[in-house]
Amino acid sequence: MSVWNYVVTAQKPTNVTHSCVGNFTSPQELNLIIAKCTRIEIHLLTPHGLQPMLDVPIYGRIATLELFRPHGEPQDFLFIATERYKFCVLQWDAETSELITRAMGDVSDRIGRPTDNGQIGLIDPDCRLIGLHLYDGLFKVIPFDNKGQLKEAFNIRLEELQVLDIKFLYGCLKPTIVVLYQDNKDARHAKTYEIALKDKDFVEGPLSHTNLDNGAGILIPVPMPLGGVIIIGEETIVYCSVSAFKAIPIRPSITRAYGRVDADGSRYLLGDNAGLLHLLVITHERERVTGLKIEHLGETSVASTISYLDNAVVYIGSSYGDSQLIKLNLQPDAKGSYIEVLEKYVNLGPIVDFCVVDLERQGQGQVVTCSGAYKDGSLRIVRNGIGINEQASVELQGIKGLWSLRSSTNDPYDTFLVVSFINETRVLAMNMDDELEESEIEGFCAEAQTLFCQNAIHDQLVQVTANSVRLVSSTTRELLHEWNAPSGYSVNVATANVSQVLLATGGGHLVYLEIGNGKLAEVKHVQLDYEISCLDINPSGENPNYSTLAAVGMWTDISVRIFSLPSLELLAKENLGGEIIPRSVLLCTFEGVSYLLCTLGDGHLLNFLLNLSTGELSNRKKVSLGTQPIMLRTFSSKDTTHVFAASDRPTVIYSSNKKLLYSNVNLKEVSHMCPFNSAAFPDSLAIAKEGELSIGTIDDIQKLHIRTIPLGEHARRICHQEQSRTFAICSLKNCQTSNEETEMHFVRLLDDQTFEFISTYPLDTYEYGCSIISCSFSDDNNAYYCVGTAYVLPEENEPSKGRILVFVVEDGKLQLIAEKETKGAVYSLNAFNGKLLAAINQKIQLYKWMLREDGSRELQAECGHHGHILALYVQTRGDFIVVGDLMKSISLLLYKHEEGAIEELARDYNANWMSAVEILDDDVFLGAENNYNLFTVRKNSDAATDEERGRLEVVGEYHLGEFVNRFRHGSLVMRLPDSEAGHIPTVIFGTINGVIGVVASLPHDQYVFLEKLQANLVKVIKGVGGLSHEQWRSFNNEKKTVDARNFLDGDLIESFLDLSRSRMDEIASSMAVPLEELCKRVEELTRLH
Amino acid sequence: MWKEVRDREAGKLPPITFASRVRSCRVSALGLSNHKEIVSPHHGAVNALQVDLTEGRYLLSGASDGSAAVYDIQRATDYEEGLIARHRSLFVVDKQHEYGHKFAISTAIWYPVDTGLFVTGSFDHFVKVWDTNTTQVVMDFKMPGKVYGTAMSSIAKAHMLIAAGSADVQVRLCDIASGAFTHTLSGHRDGVMTLEWSTSSEWILMTGGRDGAIRFWDIRRAGCFRVLDQSQCQLGRRPPFLENTSKKIVARTSLAGSSSLANKSVSRKKSPLGNGMKQSQALHKPQNLLRTPVRQRSHPGMSSSHDRATAHYGAVTGLKASVDGMYLLSSGSDSQLRLWDIESGLNILAKYEEMSLQTSKSIHLALNPDSSLVFVPCMATVKACDVWSGLTLQTFRGHYELVNCCYFNLQDQELYTGSNDRQILVWSPPSAIINDLEEDNRKEQKFSADKDNWSD
Repeated sequence: MSVWNYVVTAQKPTNVTHSCVGNFTSPQELNLIIAKCTRIEIHLLTPHGLQPMLDVPIYGRIATLELFRPHGEPQDFLFIATERYKFCVLQWDAETSELITRAMGDVSDRIGRPTDNGQIGLIDPDCRLIGLHLYDGLFKVIPFDNKGQLKEAFNIRLEELQVLDIKFLYGCLKPTIVVLYQDNKDARHAKTYEIALKDKDFVEGPLSHTNLDNGAGILIPVPMPLGGVIIIGEETIVYCSVSAFKAIPIRPSITRAYGRVDADGSRYLLGDNAGLLHLLVITHERERVTGLKIEHLGETSVASTISYLDNAVVYIGSSYGDSQLIKLNLQPDAKGSYIEVLEKYVNLGPIVDFCVVDLERQGQGQVVTCSGAYKDGSLRIVRNGIGINEQASVELQGIKGLWSLRSSTNDPYDTFLVVSFINETRVLAMNMDDELEESEIEGFCAEAQTLFCQNAIHDQLVQVTANSVRLVSSTTRELLHEWNAPSGYSVNVATANVSQVLLATGGGHLVYLEIGNGKLAEVKHVQLDYEISCLDINPSGENPNYSTLAAVGMWTDISVRIFSLPSLELLAKENLGGEIIPRSVLLCTFEGVSYLLCTLGDGHLLNFLLNLSTGELSNRKKVSLGTQPIMLRTFSSKDTTHVFAASDRPTVIYSSNKKLLYSNVNLKEVSHMCPFNSAAFPDSLAIAKEGELSIGTIDDIQKLHIRTIPLGEHARRICHQEQSRTFAICSLKNCQTSNEETEMHFVRLLDDQTFEFISTYPLDTYEYGCSIISCSFSDDNNAYYCVGTAYVLPEENEPSKGRILVFVVEDGKLQLIAEKETKGAVYSLNAFNGKLLAAINQKIQLYKWMLREDGSRELQAECGHHGHILALYVQTRGDFIVVGDLMKSISLLLYKHEEGAIEELARDYNANWMSAVEILDDDVFLGAENNYNLFTVRKNSDAATDEERGRLEVVGEYHLGEFVNRFRHGSLVMRLPDSEAGHIPTVIFGTINGVIGVVASLPHDQYVFLEKLQANLVKVIKGVGGLSHEQWRSFNNEKKTVDARNFLDGDLIESFLDLSRSRMDEIASSMAVPLEELCKRVEELTRLH
Repeated sequence: MWKEVRDREAGKLPPITFASRVRSCRVSALGLSNHKEIVSPHHGAVNALQVDLTEGRYLLSGASDGSAAVYDIQRATDYEEGLIARHRSLFVVDKQHEYGHKFAISTAIWYPVDTGLFVTGSFDHFVKVWDTNTTQVVMDFKMPGKVYGTAMSSIAKAHMLIAAGSADVQVRLCDIASGAFTHTLSGHRDGVMTLEWSTSSEWILMTGGRDGAIRFWDIRRAGCFRVLDQSQCQLGRRPPFLENTSKKIVARTSLAGSSSLANKSVSRKKSPLGNGMKQSQALHKPQNLLRTPVRQRSHPGMSSSHDRATAHYGAVTGLKASVDGMYLLSSGSDSQLRLWDIESGLNILAKYEEMSLQTSKSIHLALNPDSSLVFVPCMATVKACDVWSGLTLQTFRGHYELVNCCYFNLQDQELYTGSNDRQILVWSPPSAIINDLEEDNRKEQKFSADKDNWSD
């Protein structure tokens, strides 16, 4: 790898941090707006559910997301503040469906210390001002003027330093905030301040309440007419207003989120740590509050945000599990729950660990993540490409073609599956027991290979064989009419749609037939210069039954030609170049754009834009999908048409944002495919593989596929063992015993196919699993799982004891072979030169695997290295050890075999608080740190002075905006040897927000080229809210902010492909590169993930 | 720590909170370092210590024998018994040096922008600017008296000024760019012991003199714009509300009927400090005074009575501004520590436990970055006090003679102290591994002792 890195997101953030509901896109429309840390999504509420309207990146981590309506405006505006002290006010532009920036600014201050408890942003309900609590002891006010414009901000000193929450009260003459804070004796209080805008100061407000519940954490302001505020604690809920004070005890729980149900503020939904949803009701007589009531509703994901939409439908945004759309029922179900989950939205966050495996052994990596927390913990299998879930299969050799047929035109389901072989045609049909059995269609010729068959109009079927075209009634199944090939000629290739047949015989004869009621009519016949290799008349125009164009691929001159129908006049001819003949052509329309797809015998696919009226071909693009000839076939899934390209690397071609995308299918070689939608196998595909015919359903057509294995407990570390075909995880389960909540920690073994627990090793009380690897030792052929643990005693600040456990998998069970006590937490384990390298608190320790006299094995300390604060993350390569320290960045150690010692070679002297490290190559190391930055350092082994050699030079810096927990070498995509992307080494990372990203090391010339492209794109693509890309990507920590270098923002670069044609042209011309080449180079990059 | 690491990776603990928890946890465990030593080359009292601001790697010390030295505190020169890291000086400049100071060095600071330059001030009346790489003097400024203190602004973008205080009443600003004095700031009535630039504005300088005054200067304007007055105090952390507003509250309280809540809020103004008596006296006073300093910013017409205000009885010996730019701590020869609100200039009346401070020399205070702890050299010890409650949380005993200076290295959470006993001590969170090894050694020793007994 290299120092020139390209960072791109494969899986966007999924952790929902904020949500709000309002009339954003129009005064009549109700919208749900969701923030996923660095993205916002705007949804429209429709009777059928949520309809996505916009999903855009924000150049910042969103700290505040609020909807508000300035006076005189018919609809809401969106206020966003980012963690790096930028804010913007956005408005919806209905014409272009884009966001317009109404206002933006910077609210950073020289003085003040950033708050520990998180930034708070809030808007006065009467829209008089925006309040921000960003620094301890300061409250920033951005006032609105009468016209709803923002005026200059100012600070007010806030006495309370440990602020937990701030809200505006409703119905106050002057804007009034209520502050929940903790004093220096750890007692919690709430008080109110009126904001005197003229004096720019606080005035003591109407309410104050001291010595609240110790766990009081959330304030809920109550709208008028009731007014006042609810304070949610861990054991009590308190309502207080000027005139009333009510409190009720609750079952101890930590409330994480609330959502208001009614506009009058009498009912609230509360979501707690355990995912339980409660309804809090303020009982009142007119405007007099009489009490509080709380009612248990049921269980959801652990909510981070709750938005009540409408009609008892609620959106639950989650950071630890899947987000949900739920309905609150009036009556409980059998389990006593009032909650019905309508929809689930996948959330991978927090990804605390993951491993890259190739379970199907196809050369394509899959990522298995430890996702979620608490009860929502799960494993997620993330795979690029589309999965076929096999439902049934039969052994059948030598399949030459596959077609499905319905028994009548109106039948919703397919009845027959026609399978063609070299000298015969067999018909399979579904029987009463939903089994496929051999059947017969009397009118078909069973003794010849079928070249094509098709349902036709008037309840007819068409079969094309080498000698004839047969028209058969689908009801009586008798032959109605037959067209015979001229004697001496046989049909080589044929195609048909419901009303037309086009076939080619030897000698370049092209024959066009039309299907009538019980009759086939030869309409036109032409002879072409060369032999015909492939044909298509798939209707892509307005009439779904009739095509006005025919596509023909030719031998000899290697061309594809477009003919008009029925006249068979040549409209266009495109020479393909090269010597590889076209093997399949297809006319198709995606999202209203017509294409001609053409595949070559060597696995390449060409696509052209097709002009339906003139037949002209333009915008040629070429991609490589495999190495073998490709057969194209359309199918539809969820009412959208896709193309299946059957070959040695089967691929699904689909369109998104009017852009063709290619997704791998998780199958090995596929020779033929046809859609087969039967009652027993709805929406399925029939697939001919080598020696096998199988029927399976297909995943949703999208790029990344995520399979969820719910665990019900929090998995923290994972690794895979090839030899035993198992995964091992360290996990913890929260248990509620009487009053106390305890944690139980396990090492669990899972089957790598079924993902079932097959063995469990419980750890001791207070013992936590910290690290796990699969390794083998020198002089020992077994593969072992090594687990590092820590005893976390309540009275100890830092663990002083831990263990290393060595397991072997025998008969599907974890067998403890050896254990070794350590003097601290084993933060990391690595296989190292046939030994085991452990990071134990401050120390790096190497263990040998020794054979004792009695034949048993033990770990024996060999040598160590200290000098770290906490050695949290360790990676090794050869004899080199790279350590990521708690707060002292990266250091490089070397193991010296002769001396049996570990020595420090070099170190980065910056004070980076690490969160992950990885070795890119011999000299360059990648680190992720506490302030969401990535950086690379380089070893300077050739430097002149000791001082320089001892220093790791920082060569790259970049603000990712994501907290990276783990790097792993590997790739999510199949590496094709002939594509350029195949040679680019990549590292995958996983983050708290559920992002899976890729860091790719580019060759220098490519880096330079893309850097130029990025610079051009920054000028054209403006950040939402006017936020600056350059500032967003600049490396930023407590000490410094410097421009990003030696890292490229792949997300920005790949958004080039979403630009309009004119803007693409603009960029291509300023780059002085042909547009086609530019597109090709960017498309290459998109295939890295 | 493991729990924090775990909560951080699951997103339950925001990274910034994680860092501050780890830091405060480490700070609370500070003790005489069991794994790190600085080998002092000085033959006189160590008067000044500072770690460079850019890399956090090089410690600069200045001593009474006229010598200054630089140490690499990240990379040890050698290890004692293979374990205790010893940091020897990278170089020393002393009286033998061609341009060395002739008398005691009272102050030594790094050029804030990089480690290429450092500045020393001495009783020989000179402020000298050194090139670190060649250890040559590149510039010197002759002051009118013994130099007590120097300061450079860490946030300055528009100037490269060394503020220098000496036995003379005038503060001088020495410009590295031109090699000349650009300003003389007159106002103090006696020598200037200690200087501190504002951490929020590059133009604001704060100076403390032997006349007991702390003066604020805006170097773009003539004269000083504020003199801190120990009698102008603030109860709690922010200025009290205007008189009329507190009346309002009372009025509303009586209206509301349920008086308990609101009443409390008035009297419950945060008062961790001071006794009841003082409080009630002071309650009215500051309300009148609140706006006055603002009006008087206009200077030079500062009323003469105000101009004579003092921050301490006796000399001001030390100043330290908090990192967030909101507070200033001062120490005086009256053995008092005072906490000031920089914006309002009010004495916050934090009541620090009684301590005795050196009176004759300027002392260097240190604050930890979240402004929760102040490290004060108290005779032969260093005390760590809670900034707000004034409680002494820890006393560091290790020096044999008076401690002159301390420096808190926030990057590594280590404290360095320099004393008249010529030593520089390192106070750090303990390293567990050393303890382990010691334990092992002890066991071994015991074992061998047993053996000896047995053989006898």
